[in-house]
Amino acid sequence: MLNQLLTIACKEVTDSWRDRRGLLSAAVYSLMGPGVVSLVSLAIREQGKHGASQSVLIAMMSVFTLVSAFVGGMNVAMDSIAGERERRSLLPLLMHPVTRLGVLLGKWLAVSAFSVASLTLNVLGFALLLRRVPPWQIAVCLLPLSLLAAALEVWVSTVCRGIKEANTYLSMLVLLPMGLGMAMVFSPVAGQAWWNFLPVAGQQLQLEASMRGGQLDMLRILSLTLATAVLAGLALLAAADRLEQDDVVYGS
Amino acid sequence: MIEVRNLQKQFGAVAALRDVSFLALDGSITGLLGANGAGKSTTLRTLCGVLKPGGGEIRIDGASLPDDPLILQRRVGGLLDHAGLYSRLTPREIFTFSGRLHGIPWRRLRERVEEVVAFLGMQGIADRRTGGFSQGERMKTALGRALIHSPKNLLLDEPTNGLDVPTVRALRLLLHRTRDTGACVVFSSHLLEEVRALCDRVVVLAQGRVVAEGTPAELCQRAGVRTLEDAFVAFTGTAEVLSC
Repeated sequence: MLNQLLTIACKEVTDSWRDRRGLLSAAVYSLMGPGVVSLVSLAIREQGKHGASQSVLIAMMSVFTLVSAFVGGMNVAMDSIAGERERRSLLPLLMHPVTRLGVLLGKWLAVSAFSVASLTLNVLGFALLLRRVPPWQIAVCLLPLSLLAAALEVWVSTVCRGIKEANTYLSMLVLLPMGLGMAMVFSPVAGQAWWNFLPVAGQQLQLEASMRGGQLDMLRILSLTLATAVLAGLALLAAADRLEQDDVVYGS
Repeated sequence: MIEVRNLQKQFGAVAALRDVSFLALDGSITGLLGANGAGKSTTLRTLCGVLKPGGGEIRIDGASLPDDPLILQRRVGGLLDHAGLYSRLTPREIFTFSGRLHGIPWRRLRERVEEVVAFLGMQGIADRRTGGFSQGERMKTALGRALIHSPKNLLLDEPTNGLDVPTVRALRLLLHRTRDTGACVVFSSHLLEEVRALCDRVVVLAQGRVVAEGTPAELCQRAGVRTLEDAFVAFTGTAEVLSC
């Protein structure tokens, strides 16, 4: 089972790696955050409002980082699942002696790899911009976020019948971290303690805390990781259940 | 060898298969003949474990399908409906991917890929990405993928659709060669000429039921007509009357 899972993941990585347009768009999105933030900080410096706008910049950065986790795997999820159905290569794949959960986990691993790569590129961009090495705890905090983003994308792509539909819904999914970021600024409940354990929002709070130079609470990060892992697991199980249904083999 | 008994399959309110029973022997090509919507594709998809049967029994080389579909999938190779290739991969990469999923060890797989490439005469295109392939090249690649694990049973769903005459002839030759290795080949079509040219035995399907089974000559004799086309009309016409 593990061998088959890795075979599927390797094939998806090779296949997606050759899709240079998809790679390029994910890389542009990942580096867009550091680019935009550096331009905004230049403008602020010119106006001499450096201190007051620092927290706005940090909020912007964390939203860009969260979005990069979602954008990195988007094309891969779209092409490897909804695209597989559309070009009718899912049927031959399911004829192999591999369970549907195995197929899905293999694809999820590949989507996760691209999500992690995109997130890493984004964090490196910000690290270069700020000339500061981020604390290692941030990696522990953000890795599960990539896995969750990949799981949600795999689920959405499994539910969709074709690339066009998947593109629509996956683009909406990318808005999730943006929406939560907005809610944190404007919602009155955003400051409450339970937000720290809410996947995506919790990671944003930790990220902001680390950028402000605060201490990171490992217990809080681990609880958040657990909540994120549970949500990712549920998304994968829902996707596997969808793949068990008869109509998935009939193309779009 | 494939034995099918009282196979049924329902999609919501639609009964795709009502009662399908037939026997496909090793070393012969069995044709599933039927009009569009008769249940040919559903039968083949159920046989290769992609669709779960709604009722009835499938035995492949003596083992029952519902017990362990994954083990049985190792004994079946299929080219169903559409080639469904990865356009950014080469045939060699597609065969290797498929072989790995079938659990063939690396060293053996390398040899096997070369065997399949040689068997299908694909030496010139084995390292080209399939994105720009012609229909014939796509069909060969899909057939190679189906043969990579040397299955004893090969299922093909209307494989000649969209192919030109030389490619159809080449495919016929390949299927005869596959049969001569002792494999059980099941082949669906609604083209009577194709079935006559290829099949040793014919199973006629109509509205999810088997309405006749035998060699093309036997079917003509039983229907009291001279051509397979007349026999087909006689059998499927009877089924329609019965179902009213």
